[in-house]
Amino acid sequence: MRIVVLVKPVPDTASGGERLRPADWRLDRAATPAVVNANDEYALEAGLKLTEAHGGEVTLVTMAGSAAPETLRKALAMGASSGTLITDDALGGSDTVSTARVLADELRGLEFDLLLAGADTSDGGAGVVPAGVATLLGLPYVSYAAKIEPDPAAGRVRVHRISPTGYDVLEAPMPALVVATQALGEPRYPSLKGIMAARSKTIQTRTLADVAGGATDGLGGAAASNEVVAAEAPPPRAATRVIREPADEAARQVVAFLAERRII
Amino acid sequence: MATATPTYRLTEDQAALRDAVRILADEQIAPRAAEIDRTAEFPWDVKELLASHDVLALPFPEAHGGLGGDLLTVCVAIEQISRVCATSGLILAVQELASLPLLLAGTEEQQARWLPDLAAGRTLVAFALTEAEAGSDVAAARTRARRDAATGDWLIDGSKRFISQGSVADLLTVFAVTAEDDDTPRRQRLSCFIVEKDAPGFAVERIEHKMGIRGSPTAELSFRGVRVPDANRIGEVGQGFELAMRTFERSRPGIAAQAVGIAQGALEVAAGYARDRKQFGRPIAEFQMIGAMLADMDAQTEAARQLLYKACAEIEAGAPDAGRWSAMCKLVAGDTAMRVTTDAVQVLGGYGYVDEFPVERMMRDAKITQLYEGTQQIQRLVIARALTGSR
Amino acid sequence: MAPEAPGAIWVHGETTGDGSLARISTEVATLARSLGGASGREVVGIVVAADPGNAADELARYLPRVLTVAEPATADHAAAAIVGQRIAALVERERPGYLFAGAGPEGRDVAGVVSALTGWGVLVNATAVRWEDGPVVEMSVFGGKLNTTSRFTGDHGIVTVRPNVVTAAAAASGGTVEPTSVEGDLGLPLVPIVERVAAETAAAPIEEARVIVSGGRGVGGPEGFRVVQELAEALGGAVGATRAAVDAGWIPYAQQIGQTGKIVKPSLYLALGISGAIQHKVGMQTAETIVAVNRDPDAPIAEFADLVVIGDLFEVAPAILAALRERAG
Repeated sequence: MRIVVLVKPVPDTASGGERLRPADWRLDRAATPAVVNANDEYALEAGLKLTEAHGGEVTLVTMAGSAAPETLRKALAMGASSGTLITDDALGGSDTVSTARVLADELRGLEFDLLLAGADTSDGGAGVVPAGVATLLGLPYVSYAAKIEPDPAAGRVRVHRISPTGYDVLEAPMPALVVATQALGEPRYPSLKGIMAARSKTIQTRTLADVAGGATDGLGGAAASNEVVAAEAPPPRAATRVIREPADEAARQVVAFLAERRII
Repeated sequence: MATATPTYRLTEDQAALRDAVRILADEQIAPRAAEIDRTAEFPWDVKELLASHDVLALPFPEAHGGLGGDLLTVCVAIEQISRVCATSGLILAVQELASLPLLLAGTEEQQARWLPDLAAGRTLVAFALTEAEAGSDVAAARTRARRDAATGDWLIDGSKRFISQGSVADLLTVFAVTAEDDDTPRRQRLSCFIVEKDAPGFAVERIEHKMGIRGSPTAELSFRGVRVPDANRIGEVGQGFELAMRTFERSRPGIAAQAVGIAQGALEVAAGYARDRKQFGRPIAEFQMIGAMLADMDAQTEAARQLLYKACAEIEAGAPDAGRWSAMCKLVAGDTAMRVTTDAVQVLGGYGYVDEFPVERMMRDAKITQLYEGTQQIQRLVIARALTGSR
Repeated sequence: MAPEAPGAIWVHGETTGDGSLARISTEVATLARSLGGASGREVVGIVVAADPGNAADELARYLPRVLTVAEPATADHAAAAIVGQRIAALVERERPGYLFAGAGPEGRDVAGVVSALTGWGVLVNATAVRWEDGPVVEMSVFGGKLNTTSRFTGDHGIVTVRPNVVTAAAAASGGTVEPTSVEGDLGLPLVPIVERVAAETAAAPIEEARVIVSGGRGVGGPEGFRVVQELAEALGGAVGATRAAVDAGWIPYAQQIGQTGKIVKPSLYLALGISGAIQHKVGMQTAETIVAVNRDPDAPIAEFADLVVIGDLFEVAPAILAALRERAG
């Protein structure tokens, strides 16, 4: 199977260092180490498991800043075969419309059975890019996958899609775009073998012109459809009140507190 | 001649590898460390873990099933494991050390014969050079290998002392005197052989009871007419001493890595303790005398680490003064580990002296890094000679 | 069909499995109505469903006008692509200014499809919207560390709105429902639903709950979640969980709160046996009131909760239940 996974480097939440640049209110990507977006790792893991079961390769496609190759190394160490990084100064500050279009332009030239993406990113949280990419490419789109079962011979894929009441079983022809969730399973730690093998794997870089040819109008940060006009820290929470009393007394105080706050 | 200056940072894969080994060490080896020390039993489970995760494959060439890690990569792994358990870190360090003669001077056939199992961690190898009367004075070894003219085999007689993992190894890299007469120059008297543990005449006489690295069996080995074919000779006859010296160039950084790891582990315990322990109404970390100690411990450990990394880069690049780099990093790291672990015990006060906390074990473990693989005094000799040219 | 006044504010009315209107759409509609009042623009709802009547009638309690498109294919196919195409076609025909949708899973998918078809930008996960010559959208980013204010650079856009940031309020008088149709085939491939499976504990989307009682590692097992469930019921809320509890198999992933689960903003978040590590914190720290019960006084949650009880949750939670019942009875 040929599986492409969309991955995005995002600031590492654990570092707590995310911030916006005061000059233009764009995400300051230099401020914190970047890691592969957590949700994309589930997509990647799902892809790797599928190629282990059905044969084939997983390749990565990313649109990111030029420091991204380092972040992609981990994904390669997990077992992806190669990656394409679309990077260009003009793409900094791109909105979701532009991102979806650039990714779609790149993917149009690739052949794959499954295109996998993570549910949303921890740095923008939009979650609208995969749907946009599927629409632009005319691909069947299934989101919130808890299970992905392709039938390569029949050219179809069966997906369990999480629903408010449980899950729906959908069947799409391949190639299809499927959005992964955590329910697909824990991403593997890269093995030492994988880490060492990643040294010889390639990440091809492509500029905006490589991807979009001459049709770069309306793409990139300059064409962003929205802008941040202000940013501030939320008002600090009041100091924590600590109750160490025995359970019954503690419970009385909790209920009084909730009543005070008009929650009950 | 000058190429772009590489930045003083680990490459992506070295950093990824460091993180991967750290996770393995923290999750699966750290919980065993105290028990390994207490029971003084060789941790076969840890060895299996390192083998199955391909950690033991790091020092070996890809052509023979290894991961082709450079010296710095191997040292990063040793450091991460030693952070939680010096005995466990030594498993990788010894596997590298004792394989080096084979890697440096073995024939194609010899390498193909032994390296795959070593890389897979199916077999362990130990380095049998030291003797009761030949510690620092390597050339004074008395274990003899006599040629059987009829068959071309060698017969080895003698004994070795203080051989790390000598009782659990499947293979021994043995250095024996092959010089026929006393006129042969000291440095050409020895040759190197691979002896398999079930060779008749080979025996483990005793295991030492040690101050530290107690889970690593340190053995006295005896050879009584042990017969090895000439095909087991590594390198030329009389090349043994030179091979040993070339080996140390690459293996001393491994011990330095163990020492840096021990220091780092002790530092982390001490810093964590100082943050949590409250006296006089405040965490003791807020007291300047404690803070100063921790600061010195951190700075010294980092300095030892950076010297180690630089030494690895220089040695790997074939620097002509590799011996100097190797001796320096081992010298500084060993002394640092001793100092940092001693201070770690001090920071913990009474709690540092009892086995409720690991720092007393780390201090006992640290001492060996000033003794083996060449004592600190030998390292200083090497450095001084490189500096002044005096003999 | 008379063309809409240019720049109308549209509201996507989401339907649930049984054809009724999703609660979030009542909140989005209320918000849109207030923006209509501030801007003088017309506000129109749009429902695309196999049988949109019920949902449209409900939405018409909140909006003066609701358009409906009957689209049978949505009954047994993945709906977002279908709904998105029809809405985009209507946008093309009627030329509204802005589209508002819920920021839940369905609304998000529809927003993505419409954005790609119309080229309109998207501002997502709004926690507040006001009108100043166009929507001015507040968002909480970086797991709640920062509140940003954004606007569109042009005069069109899609806004998705978080659940629970607006209280739904019906309009003074009911609106009209106008069935309409859209010509043309659906260009995007249809994905059939071959089976719908109900989970044992089907719950309303947790992002919509006003009260969430969550259990973490300290709950110890699926049986432990019983007291979490009871407390949630007593408070009229939903049950949430941390990653640890989900990974241990004690509770389904749909109820996980945190970086790789749901982001919630309830009025009350009651955390039982939860340490408050960052991956969970980013999912709930903007809750209005946070109460925690934990044995460990040094747990991170003790630093950002409003109230923390140091104790065994298996003693404290039943005691709270008893105190609540006493108060009610």
